[in-house]
Formats: sequence, structure tokens, C-alpha cells
Amino acid sequence: MKNSKKAFILTEAVLGFLVALLAAVMLLDKNGEAPDKISVIVENSEDKQWAAFRYGLRMAAADLETELSIVPTEGELTLEEEMELIRQEIRNGADGVIIQPVPGPDTEEMLGEIGKKVPVMLVGSQAVRGAGEYPLTSPDNYRLGEALGEELIRDCRENLQGKTLGILSRNSQSPAIQDRYEGFCSALKGAGAQVRWNMDGNYGEEEGQSLEDLSKVDFVIALDDRSTAAAGASSSANDLHGAIVYGVGSSTDAAYYLDTGKVQCLVVPDGFSEGYQSLEELSRRLEHSFGKMEDRLAGYTVIRRDTLFTEENQEILFTMSQ
Amino acid sequence: MEQVKNKILNYLNKLKPGGMQATLMVTFSVISVLIMLILGVVLYLRFSSVSRNEIVETTRKLMEQSGENMEDYLVRMRQISDAVYYNVVKESDFSSQENRIQRGMNLIYEANQDNLKSIAIYNNYGSLMAAEPVASQKEDPNVTKQGWYQSAVEEMENMHFSTPHIQNLFDDGTMGYYWVISLSRAVELTERGDSRTGVLLVDMDYSSISRMMDQINTTNSGQYFYLCDSNGEIIYHPRQVQISDGIFQENNQTAGDYKEGIYDETFQGEHRKVLVNSISYTGWKLVGVIPYSTFTHGMLNVRYFIMMLILLMGMMLAFVNRMVSVWISSPLLRLNDSVKSYEAGEKPRIYIGGSQEIRHLGDSIQRSYEQIDDLMKEIVLEQNERRKSELDALQSQINPHFLYNTLESITWMIEGEKNDEAAFMITQLAKFFRISLSKGRTVISVRDELQHARSYMNIQKVRYKNAFAVVFDVEEAACACCIVKLVLQPILENAISYGVSAMDEGGEIRIIGRKRDGKILLTVRDNGIGMTREEAEDVLTDNTRVPKRGSGVGLINVNNRIQLLFGKEYGLKVESEPDEGTSVSIVIPAVPYEEENRKILEKGYLFGKDLIKNIEDAGGEDEKQ
Repeated sequence: MKNSKKAFILTEAVLGFLVALLAAVMLLDKNGEAPDKISVIVENSEDKQWAAFRYGLRMAAADLETELSIVPTEGELTLEEEMELIRQEIRNGADGVIIQPVPGPDTEEMLGEIGKKVPVMLVGSQAVRGAGEYPLTSPDNYRLGEALGEELIRDCRENLQGKTLGILSRNSQSPAIQDRYEGFCSALKGAGAQVRWNMDGNYGEEEGQSLEDLSKVDFVIALDDRSTAAAGASSSANDLHGAIVYGVGSSTDAAYYLDTGKVQCLVVPDGFSEGYQSLEELSRRLEHSFGKMEDRLAGYTVIRRDTLFTEENQEILFTMSQ
Repeated sequence: MEQVKNKILNYLNKLKPGGMQATLMVTFSVISVLIMLILGVVLYLRFSSVSRNEIVETTRKLMEQSGENMEDYLVRMRQISDAVYYNVVKESDFSSQENRIQRGMNLIYEANQDNLKSIAIYNNYGSLMAAEPVASQKEDPNVTKQGWYQSAVEEMENMHFSTPHIQNLFDDGTMGYYWVISLSRAVELTERGDSRTGVLLVDMDYSSISRMMDQINTTNSGQYFYLCDSNGEIIYHPRQVQISDGIFQENNQTAGDYKEGIYDETFQGEHRKVLVNSISYTGWKLVGVIPYSTFTHGMLNVRYFIMMLILLMGMMLAFVNRMVSVWISSPLLRLNDSVKSYEAGEKPRIYIGGSQEIRHLGDSIQRSYEQIDDLMKEIVLEQNERRKSELDALQSQINPHFLYNTLESITWMIEGEKNDEAAFMITQLAKFFRISLSKGRTVISVRDELQHARSYMNIQKVRYKNAFAVVFDVEEAACACCIVKLVLQPILENAISYGVSAMDEGGEIRIIGRKRDGKILLTVRDNGIGMTREEAEDVLTDNTRVPKRGSGVGLINVNNRIQLLFGKEYGLKVESEPDEGTSVSIVIPAVPYEEENRKILEKGYLFGKDLIKNIEDAGGEDEKQ
């Protein structure tokens, strides 16, 4: 075969290949690449405490063109329930999951199984305190507790000698609560305050669990949003025996009790940031299959009654109200 | 620089011309590709420009429509404020007509509650005078410190729209916080007949504006719209919280300074088009942002389409180019192949085909080759004849019969003690042979040829006992020209043998030499028995005739030798009449006898024809003059 004929056939073949390639690209582009689908499983997901978190997720999903599914849940989840929900979401096509893990070592095992199928991002805390196998997006819980303690000390002009404290949380087994408690204790170390009781449970929501029944303390320290709201409600009803409430909260309820003076100081974790960053990190991982997810840190804000309506804090209230 | 230049020149020098087909193909392809690329780029630029203008125009219209909707909404809010003030508050006294005021406010609120959060009236101390819906006021909202109140008091003649904020006035027991835009104005209140200043507040539900903006912020192409006030403070932005958190940045401060129109700006390295639409009465600005990537995104499919079009055209043109180049070059290549075969020694038919020009070319080459073949054959033939003639001439030089007769005559003279005559004979014989040899030359001067003839005739006259007379009548001009040697002697020999030898007396052979019209004419004329016209014509054509007497070198041979050197138009001319005599003329060109001319003529007619042509032309010119 002559060289010119070879060159002609080669040219036609290359051009033909390019046409086919371009046609394939056009076809794929026309069909559109399906957006990544990310499912979010947190306990009591419709609760007000997650409002900012949900808004952050929604904004990130819009910015990153990701399909978001927040699984509706009620009350606390057991490991089995959470496992089943995750499997169901994977069956429904979830490319990645954002999970608030049920505290406990068994959850680690479950995450190992899920992690083989889809990327997993944890929010709130690790399943087991100190474990760091899975990427986590959360505020620095230790620092959160510490900030709460520092505010208390500042209010008492660093004189807590003889003062009594009651610690309130929904689940003292939660690594997040444990970290906050540890941070709080660390701030109060040597201040002379005495923890009279340390209770966990659904106070104010379930029958038989009333804060009124607890012994009188000078300060009630609520380590999570629901506990802060419960303490605020009890304070409103004058059931706290005059105790002053300091709490961690991320709902408008908690803000309301701060606004009405029933809560002295509120440390607000940045739920918006937690939601936005967790989805952003997971989306980045889905985009780059061989990438490694990293821990992301959300901030927090200390709010008092007189600073509740500053321009910055109005933004926080805005995210809580979404 | 010099090195680069040298490298390029070396590279260009190395480029050798390729085949015709490849050259045609490459040329066509390069031109086609260039045209397609230029066409593609121009098409794309034109299309993208139109598309860009289309997007900008659509966005502008959308913003105009949204701006009008927003203005309508804000006018309604102003009307609500007016209605509360002029229909309810201004006509009533707060001390005695509180219920009437409340009822009036309630009616207006109920009619517009989808867009409102609350209507409230405060006095100049910041105390709540009336509010709708009825709700408990917060413990200490510190109204006079709030922005909307201060704006109303500072500029009492205007209505004031605030930026969005959390309403911090009432506790409705829902534990909710509402995002509102406050429309405030200073009003005149009447209480117990006294007039005092107050502030009327209409808190608009932010979600109404947010919904309006959300409706136009639905595209995923990267373009978005936001709302800011005249200071650039953001009222609505689809990424409001991201901006607050520093995740996203917006050029809202600059947008606040923009007047209504379309602007190009570069923000954080991103080139974008910004459309600004002013909202009446408020100083707000509806800003549309179209990143240039949006235009590109929209043009991606067009880009693919044009690329595909170019590739398909490329494929088609490559095919057409190939066909055309094959069509053009194929006959030439076949012609070239047949010429190559010819050059390789084969004898193929030269290819004649393709277009008219190529057919003509093939035909010409074919004819040229045929002519070359003929010429080659002719040359070979001429060479053969020349060799034969030379041989014949050589033969005549040593004609034993002539030599024998001559020597016998000399012997006879010596025996008869005619020593002087014998000496004369020997002298003439010597001259005869000297000129016959002529150092091996073929071309000699006419003078020498005449000398040779003279010697020959002197010998023959002795042999024939002066039975005939010989007269030489030659012009001197003719003597200095070139002639083929030994051409007169055979003619003279024939004149003696066939003309005058048989005559008892009165025989005469006359040799006449003339130069006319660039030609030399040497005529041997005898007054012998002559011959018929037919016989005279056969003398130069009938090759089969065998001479009865003489050297054996016929006139045909003489004629051939003349023509071999001077061309076919020269040679012998025979004229004869029975009983009148015969005249044989040698016609040759008058080439001056010079060494250079002699050498040229001796190579043969092919080499000497230019010289002869020049002589002829010169002769013609001389004659004219």
C-alpha cells in the first residue's frame, strides 16, 4: 500500500475516532451526570436543635449541586434502627452518608461495614470517645464545655467557693457530652464549686423526670440543647428552686429562654457550619474517589441576653429559624 | 537567534519535494483545514456573542419584571402604612378612641397578614401605644435604640425601609424569632387632645421578599440575583449565611455604588457581568450577576457541535481531496511511470489519458520518442553509408586499373624516350595521390579538388593521346570554399569513358566553377554522345547499374557523399541530350575553407547544418543587396 493511501486511511480513522468520542461526550453531557446523593441520619431530625444544621446542609447541597436526603427520625435511635436506616438509604441510591453515630463500641463495627460500601461522615461526635477512625465534623466539644465553665466563673467573679452545681444532659454516655463535661470541669478546676448532681435523661419531656424533684443547686449546667430548653422551661415555671441556668443550645427555644432571662448564658455550636462542612467534605470525597476525608471543625458562639440581637448573633438566630 | 535561523534553514533545505499526489493532498488539506478553522472560530464567536447578548437581555427583562413585582409589593406596604396613619391614627385620640384605633389596625392587618408580621405605634418615649396582632411586649425591647425608630425620628418627612433583622419587640409565646424588614415613619399622635410625635412601624415579613427572590434564583448555571440597599448592605442573597461565615464573598459594596445599568467587573479573579436595577422609593438595588463561565457553560454544546461539524467536514474534505488529487495526479503518475519504463530501456506505449493537457503532453512525448527513434535509425544508416562511401573513395584512390594504365603509359613513354612526358606523368600522378590522401581529411578546398582533377585529366589526356580537350573555367571566389574530396574525379572519369573517349576528334570536357547565392556550382560538361532524359535520371537513382568502365565509383556514391555532409538539398545534377553531350553539376554550399568550418563539416550534416544554414542566409542577403 502506498504511503499516501496509508496516510489517508490513518487520517480518516483518527477523524472518525474523534467524531465518535465527541458524540459520546455530547451524549453523556446531554444525559447529564447524575448528582451525588447524600443521606443524613441524625436522631430526632425534625427537632428545632437541628434547624441550623439542616439549613447548612441545604445550602451546601445547593452550592455543590448535590442531592440531599435528610431521613426523618423521631426520638433517640438504637444501633439497629440506625443500621437499618443506613442500609435503606444505600439501597435507595445514597452515594454517601452523614451520620450522628449511636454512642457505643458496636457502632464502630457497624461503621466499618458501611464504610466499605459508601463514604461515611460523622457529625456530633465519634461513636466511642477517643476513637478517630472515621472523619468527623463537629464543634470542639471539650472547648464548648470549657467556654461554658469560663462564663460561669466570670459571672461569679471567679468566686465559686461553696456554690453547688447540677449537671444536666440527655445522654451522659455520648462522647460529645463527656467531652463537654470534661471541658467544663477543667474550667472550674480549683474554683471551689461542688457538683451536687449529674443527671441525664429526658427531663421535662417524660413523666417522672422533673427537675423540680432534684435537690436545690445554685447553678444548673445543661450540656445539650434539649437539656438547656428543659432547664429554661423549668426556670420559667419556677421549678428550679432559683437556680441559674448555663447551657449549650442550638434551637430558638434555648435562645428564647436566654431572651427571657431564664438562661443566663448560652453557648451556641455553629450548626450551619457543621451541616455545610460535613456535606462539603463528603461531596469532595465523592468527587475525588481516591481522596481522603478529613475532620472538619465547626465553631461556637457565646451569647448572653444583651448580645442576642447583635448583627452577628441575629445571623445565628436566622439559621436557627430556618 | 542566528543558530535558530540556521536550524530552520537547514530543516527547510532537508525538505525534499514529495510526490505530486501527496503535495496536492497536503495543500488541499492545509487550505481546507485553515478555512474550516477560520469558519469554525468565526461561527463560534458570532454565535457566542449572540448567545451572550441573549442571556444578558433575558436576565435584564427578568430583573425588570422582578423589580416591578418588588416595587408593587413595597408600594402596598407603603399604602398599608398610609392607611394606618391617615385612616386610623391621625383621626383618632389614643385616650378616648383606643378601641377604634385597635379595630382599624386589626382590619388592615387581617387584610394583609400574608405579607405582614406586625403593625405597631410607639410614642416619642418609645412606649407602645398600639399593636396588631395583639401580643405582649417584651420586657425591655429598648425601642428607641433600634435602627428603624432612630431612622424615623432622624428624617421625619420620609418613610424608611430597614435592612432585614430579627424582630425584637413582642413575645407571642411561640418561642420563634421572625426575620422582618421594618417600614417606619414619624407620625403625629393625639392623646387627650394633645398632639405629639410618634413612630408608626410596619414589620414586613422577610419571607415575602425572600420568596420573590428565590423564584428568580432557580438556575443552576451560575447566575444569581441579590438585593442590597444604597450602601451595599445585603437585604437578600442566596448565599447570605455563607457570606457571613466567609465561605462566599460578594462585591456588594461596589454594587451599592452602581447606577442602574450593565457593568463588567472582575471580582476575586472571576470575570462577570453585573446588571443593576434600582427599586423605586427605597434606594434598594436588584443586582444580577452573570459569571462569564455561565456563557461558556451555555456554549459548551455549541462548541461540541461546531467541533463535530469541523471534524465531519474534515473527514469529508479529506475524502474529496483524496479523490481530486488522485484524479488529477493519476494520469500524470501513469505518464511518469511509462516515461520511466522508457528510460529504463523498455519500449512501452507512452500513456495517453486524463485531461486534455495531459493527453497532449503524452502524445507529444510519444511523438518525440518516435522521432528520436527515427533519427537514431537515420543516423545509424547515414553512418553506415558514410563508412561505405569513404571505403569506396579509398578504393578509388588505389584503383589498380587506373594505376596500371598510368604506369604502363609511363613505361611506354620511357621506352619511347619521352622522358619529359614521363616525368610530367609521374609528377601529375604524385599530385593526384597527394590530394587523394590529404592527410585523411574528407573535406578539402575546391582549389585542391580542382588540382586533383587537373592532375587526373593530365594523366588521362596522355593516356588518350590528347583525343579530347580539357578546359578549366573556375572563378577564384569558388576556389576558397569547402568541398568533399574526390568528387570531381569520378565525374571526369565518366565524362571520358561515356562522353568523349569514343569521339575521333573535337572532344572537349569543360570544368566550370561558379559561386552564386551562397552556393558553389562545379559543372563538368562534355560534348560527347550524351544520353536520353530517362537514362540521365537513372544515373543518380538506379543503384543496380554496374559501370562498364572506370574506377567503379558511381555518381550515386558521389551524390551520397555530398549529401551526407551538406544535406539532401545539395548533390549532383545531371543534364544530357543525345549527341549533344552531358553536363554533371556539383551543387554545394559556399562554406569558406577554414580549419574550424572543415572540422564541423567533417562531423556530418547533423553538426554542420547550422553552419550551412548561416551560409545560405548570408548568401541570400548578399544577393538581395
